[in-house]
Amino acid sequence: MSNDPDKVWPTGLTLKEAEEVHSYLIDGTRVFGVIALIAHLLVAVSTPWLG
Amino acid sequence: MNNAKMWLVVKPTVGVPLFLTAVAVGSFAVHVAVLSNTTWVSDFLSGKPIGGVAALEAPVPQVANAAYVPQGAQEVLVVMPDGTTARAILQMPETVAALE
Repeated sequence: MSNDPDKVWPTGLTLKEAEEVHSYLIDGTRVFGVIALIAHLLVAVSTPWLG
Repeated sequence: MNNAKMWLVVKPTVGVPLFLTAVAVGSFAVHVAVLSNTTWVSDFLSGKPIGGVAALEAPVPQVANAAYVPQGAQEVLVVMPDGTTARAILQMPETVAALE
């Protein structure tokens, strides 16, 4: 275990690695959001949801 | 992007699956709520037309209540649902009892 001074515990990731993981999570959330938006538009158009 | 520091505290191998599971459970709950609170989802799943006018028509009440009938009136003109009229003959309760 190289004692890298940038590693932060308890997870042992460096801040750069944490930001990388987080960016993937945010991008995934955005894709989920776009798909959900399209789904909601389709439901609003084709069902009596909004009258 | 300061939220990224959460991965210094929570291991991504634990946090990411937990996050995705929470989103899936939430999404599932919303679908169940919509399914159980609307008619058109189950209509769609069973092949019926979604929200057709027929689904919205209130059932026709079998018994209609006449509001006011003048004293001594023997007959009442009734307008039927299809627009035709019918004549209703009024028999007082005591005469009806006598007939039985």
